[in-house]
Amino acid sequence: MGVVLRNLQTVVPVRRARLRRDVETLRHILGIQKFDLGLICVDNRRIQRINNIYRKKDSPTDVLSFPFYEDLRPGKLPCALHRDELNLGDVFLGVEYLMHQCSDTSQDLHGALTVVTAHGICHLLGYRHETEEEWKEMLQKESYILTEFNRLTGSRLVPLTKRCTEEKANLK
Amino acid sequence: MLKCVSRALNLAGRLANKPLSASARAVRAPPARPFTRSIWMMCGGDRPALLGSRAALPSVSCGCGGLHTEGDKAFGEFLKDEIKEEKKIQKNQALPKMSGGWELELNGTEAKLTQSLSGDKVTVTFNINNSIPPNLEETEQQGQKPGENEPEIVSTPNFVVEVTKKSGKHSLVFDCNFPEDEVGHGEGEEESDIFAIREVSFQPVGEEDWKETSYTLNTDSLDWALYDHLMDFLADRGVDNTFADELSELSTALEHQEYIKFLEELDSFVKCN
Repeated sequence: MGVVLRNLQTVVPVRRARLRRDVETLRHILGIQKFDLGLICVDNRRIQRINNIYRKKDSPTDVLSFPFYEDLRPGKLPCALHRDELNLGDVFLGVEYLMHQCSDTSQDLHGALTVVTAHGICHLLGYRHETEEEWKEMLQKESYILTEFNRLTGSRLVPLTKRCTEEKANLK
Repeated sequence: MLKCVSRALNLAGRLANKPLSASARAVRAPPARPFTRSIWMMCGGDRPALLGSRAALPSVSCGCGGLHTEGDKAFGEFLKDEIKEEKKIQKNQALPKMSGGWELELNGTEAKLTQSLSGDKVTVTFNINNSIPPNLEETEQQGQKPGENEPEIVSTPNFVVEVTKKSGKHSLVFDCNFPEDEVGHGEGEEESDIFAIREVSFQPVGEEDWKETSYTLNTDSLDWALYDHLMDFLADRGVDNTFADELSELSTALEHQEYIKFLEELDSFVKCN
């Protein structure tokens, strides 16, 4: 099945083919092509609701991940036995939130979507950033992914974890 | 915090529109007027037997030569109330406008939206008949006051998009729908796209009937990347999520308008005006 892409919002025009191509590149870099992955584009209202339900934070955000495997060791791929288990989980992209962020910083929206998707997939693979040590590990992984992505596509993307820390923003 | 919807999303995306059930229209009836009362009204005050012979039915003459019963009279009164209620909840007499340069043409229950974009002619057609999906949830809880949390009736018709190139002999035709979710009526996260493409084919320009011999691409087993390109192709021609949302609003207003018109005609027919 691969990447299941859903666009549930009307606020931001999302180029589906571009988003899929970029996510496929990320999957290739991470070697997770055999795993299914859900990618859902939502507006502020919906991501705020999900954020409130699952994280008790009543505000919109840029990305929320829901891993299929909750106790993965970072960087270790799950040993799936059945076809149904070849699934990493879902990443909700707050495209409206990101669009506002991009217009404030004159960033390209689809570049930002790739960055937050890479961040979200890292969470699906067991990476966390609750402690300093976890944060370093996750930043390292994101940096690797985006360096490879930049090399393959000629982009100049920067990891989200790095920016989060620089801006002292909420941890996702 | 396990929340995995990809399989469910895929399933939901494959669901086709189901036919209209009687329950959908029943929702429209004002809750203050339960079904039992309608039957009672038809019976009249002296409670004649429901299964009585035709000869026993009281008739009222109006000179048209047709049959008029007490039941017809009650029916007329019911319709009068129903029309009044429906007009009260009708948001606007005028139909909602579509964003962009779409021109609307109506032919009974069929609507056609057309616009030209740099030589490409885009036509979207839909029919409001059978466009209200059955309500999957309980409409009224025990002890609930009438009108409280009443589900809103929303028309989500299948629609056909035809894209014709200048001097092209064939149109590229997209058969689209609003997928119904099997799940996701609770928290609202497990949902399908707002609209989906079900089939794609080429059809000769200007012909009324589609050629069954034209190859038809079914999106059920389609490469997702190709599907996304088709969706982007439509978005570039003004058919995106916003359009689909507005089309549903337009269709809902049209459906309601036609429903009221039907009730008025029915009232007129019953009364023999």
